[in-house]
This record gives sequence, structure tokens and C-alpha cells, in this order.
Amino acid sequence: MDLLSFINFYLVPGIVLGAIYSLGAIGITLVFGVLRFAHLAHGDLATMGAFLVLALVSLLGMNPWVALPVSMAATAGLAVALHWLFYEHLRRRSAILTVIASLGVALMLRAVVQVVWGVDSQTYVGGITRPESYFGIRVKDREFWTLAATAALVVGLQLFLTFTRWGKAMRAMSDNPDLARLSGIDTRLTTALTWTIIGILSAAAGFFLGINTELKSLMGWYMLLPMFAAAILGGVGRVEGAVLGGMVIGIAEECSVLFLPSEYKSALAFAILLIMLAVRPTGLLRGKVL
Amino acid sequence: MSHTQTGSPILSVAGVTGGYGSGADILHGIDLTVGRHEIVGIVGPNGAGKSTALKAIFGLVQVRGGAIRFDDRDIAGWAPNRIVRCGIGYVPQVDNVFREMTVEENLEMGAFLRRSGVEAALQRIYTLFPDLVEKRRKPAGSLSGGQRQMVAFGRALMLDPQLLLLDEPTAGLSPRYCEQIFQIVRDVRAAGVAVLLVEQHAKQALSFCDRAYVLASGRNRAEGTGQGLLADREIAQMFLGG
Repeated sequence: MDLLSFINFYLVPGIVLGAIYSLGAIGITLVFGVLRFAHLAHGDLATMGAFLVLALVSLLGMNPWVALPVSMAATAGLAVALHWLFYEHLRRRSAILTVIASLGVALMLRAVVQVVWGVDSQTYVGGITRPESYFGIRVKDREFWTLAATAALVVGLQLFLTFTRWGKAMRAMSDNPDLARLSGIDTRLTTALTWTIIGILSAAAGFFLGINTELKSLMGWYMLLPMFAAAILGGVGRVEGAVLGGMVIGIAEECSVLFLPSEYKSALAFAILLIMLAVRPTGLLRGKVL
Repeated sequence: MSHTQTGSPILSVAGVTGGYGSGADILHGIDLTVGRHEIVGIVGPNGAGKSTALKAIFGLVQVRGGAIRFDDRDIAGWAPNRIVRCGIGYVPQVDNVFREMTVEENLEMGAFLRRSGVEAALQRIYTLFPDLVEKRRKPAGSLSGGQRQMVAFGRALMLDPQLLLLDEPTAGLSPRYCEQIFQIVRDVRAAGVAVLLVEQHAKQALSFCDRAYVLASGRNRAEGTGQGLLADREIAQMFLGG
């Protein structure tokens, strides 16, 4: 196999998948970093975001890319609502209760998707898209835009966290919640803001998975393990770590079919996660919490 | 120059009782006052309720009885973020900086409640603690113990409080740093802020406070000038380790 075929058939799809995992892993790392629990409903929140885009496309005939921001806003609202309904009153109890509650939320979200949209695979737009060739490297339009949008979201989030008052408040709450409270930072607002960002990112992750493959009611649930593996691999609590981890897992999964039967593709994330936890549990970029 | 109390005190605590959550009372009627520009210490054996008294003033402990007057307002039972707004800064004993954030970001978080004058407040802190200027872009967690305390003090001073509460500022620091911390406290007072601090190193603290209170079992046991308490043989034997 020559280099170009490797790039076209393994590397490019791996990077696209990695971008999708990155967006999910950032959300997971934010929940872990700011709110200190493992959010098992994250994949199904992404599924919900993906199907909300489908609703806008099929009911209003919107272009999926135009519908995405609407779905992001709706998923953000949903994430904030889920927090107040199911997680907030468990805040003072052991974190494992919130984790289990989030598993229940995951099952509920999945059930809603299955009741409303059914269990069959669906797509945003029919037909076959031909990739454009850039010096022999073939990239489809939707793949290009997935990468561009992911980059924009990641850079935007980093700028927000580094330079704005509320972004710094989020980092302060992640760093030392008691001291944040003593400094007069409104932790309720900061929490709501965190969920808003998580909703936006998971809607994007679900939509990109849906537009690059297809929409299924279990699409997000199956993405949960690789997303967690990516967050832990990169170092929990670190946005740049989540991106790095997502890329490693995405590319490794796509390249694994060179050596392993494709049925083992999803086991690979699990293997990487196990090795990482055994060798360097703080992650590649040294996570902050845990 | 004497810094003994002049005019009405800025803080007066009278008969305060209370404890954590719904648990038993730890404070059984504490009385103390802090004058403007005064450094007042709270000393006493372990479990005397020293830190609890400080937390009660800052609203971190359930106050069930008594009055806490600050600047002519009764602040007993107020939430900490309301107390911080009216001019009291609090520096916890441990975990008192944002480790992953830079020195400057730590200070900015101290000014979270203030909409204007942040730049001027930063300059005041850098004038007070010149060591921090070159470290402003470094994560607070990477600093030495003494410099980290400067960041912690600086964060609490960003809202221009009139009173600073320090919970065992020298805990876990080597003697060399202790002297540095006491000097910082004097500098803070020189900048016009009254200081109420809890100290484990009672003898050192008494020799540098204007006045001090000795607490035991959640009650006042003695009070006086630092030097006066040090000279009191009975107090020294009972509470200050001979």
C-alpha cells in the first residue's frame, strides 16, 4: 500500500473520527474538571443533538449546517435543564450517586430518541458525495467542514477559558471550588455556564458523527467509551489533552483494521484506556483532578 | 508608634455561639473586638475553636446566638459572598490559592465582584508584594510557601477590605518564612487594613500582635496586649506550653 492510499483510506477518516471524539471528550473532561463526576449521559446527549438537527432538516427543510447552531442552543438548554432536574440535588452527596443518576438520564434520553425517531438508521441528506482531491489527498466537503468547525470550537473555547471573566471563573471553580465560593464567584451561574458549553459541544459531536456516518439511536452510547478513553488518555481536566486523546483514539481505531479484524475496532479504545491507566494514570498531559 | 484601639472598633463580636451544620456548638459565647488598623491575634490550645471563631465571622459556620457587628452592621448569619462585599477578606489555612492559575489570575479572581478599578487594585497588590511582579505569569502552585501566602493575601485584598481574617497563616511554614509572613501582615496593616489572625505558634504571635485573645473550649479565657499575655505566668503555663 502506498502512502497516499494510507492517508486517504485510514489517516483522513481517523482524523475526522478523532475530531468527533475530541469534541465529546472535551465535554466529559469539563464535567469531570468543574463538577467532579463522570457523566455517562454524554453520548446520549450527543445523540439528542444529532437528532434535533434531523428534526429541523426534515420538518423545516433546513440545511443541516444551518440547523446545527439551533440544535446546539437547544441541546445546551437541555443540558442545563438535566442538571437542575437530576444532578443538582445530589451535589452534596457522594459523586457515585450522580454518576448513576447520569446513567438513568442516558437511558431516558435514548428512549425519547427511539420513541420519536424510531430505531432505524437515518441520514441528513441522501445520495453519494464525491471527495475533492487536494494534491492526491481526497477529502469530502463534509469532512473538511467537520475539521474546520472542530478547530473553531476548540480555539474559541480555549480563548474563552483563558481571557474572559466567566471563563476564568470556570477554571477557578475547577481548580478550587471552596476558594472560588469565598472569592464571591457565583458557582450556580458558573455551573449553568459549564453545562451550556457541554451541550453545545456534544450537539456538535453528535451532528458530525451523524453527517459523516449515519444517525442511529445508539450512536452516542457507542461513542461513550472512546470519548472517556480520549479524556483520560489526554489527562482529565485538560481541554488540549482531550483533543490530543481524541485524535490518538480516532486514528488508532481507523488504522487498527490494518492489523486486526474490524470487529475489534471498538475494543481498541478499551485496550488503550487500560494500558494508559496502568502505565500513566494521570494521562499524557498530566490531568488535574482525580 | 502605638496601634492600640482608637475610636469605635471596626469589628465587635459579642456572645457568639454556633457550630458546623446541625452539629453540636463549638463556640460557647465568644467576645472580641478589633480596632481600625489593629493586629489582633487569637491563640489557644488545639480544639479551642480558634479557626471556628474566624469562620463564624466570615459566615462559614452556623451562628446560633450573639451578635457580629462590622462597621455598624450586624453581619451574623450573612452568606460569605455578602460579607466579602461589605469589606472583610478571608484567607483560609490550606488550599488558599488557585494552583493551576497564574498569580495575576489569582488576584483577578479576588476581584471577581468588582466591575471597575481592577487594574488599580492589581497595582496596589504589586506595590505591597513586589516579589509577585516577576511571577505574575507563573502558576501559583509553582511558587514557594511564602510567595504563595502573598498570593493568598493578595487575592483577599483585591476588594480593598477594611479587615483581613487570616487562618493560621504560618502553618506548615519554616521559621524563616514565618518571620516573612509576620512582616507581610505588618505591611498589610501599614496599608490601612485591620488584621485578625489565628495562630498556632502562640509565643511568636503574641510578641507581634497588638492585642490577643486566648480561647479554650470555645470560650474566652484571657485577653490583653501581646506582651501582657506573654508575661502572665498562669496563661503561659496553661495555654502557651510553659
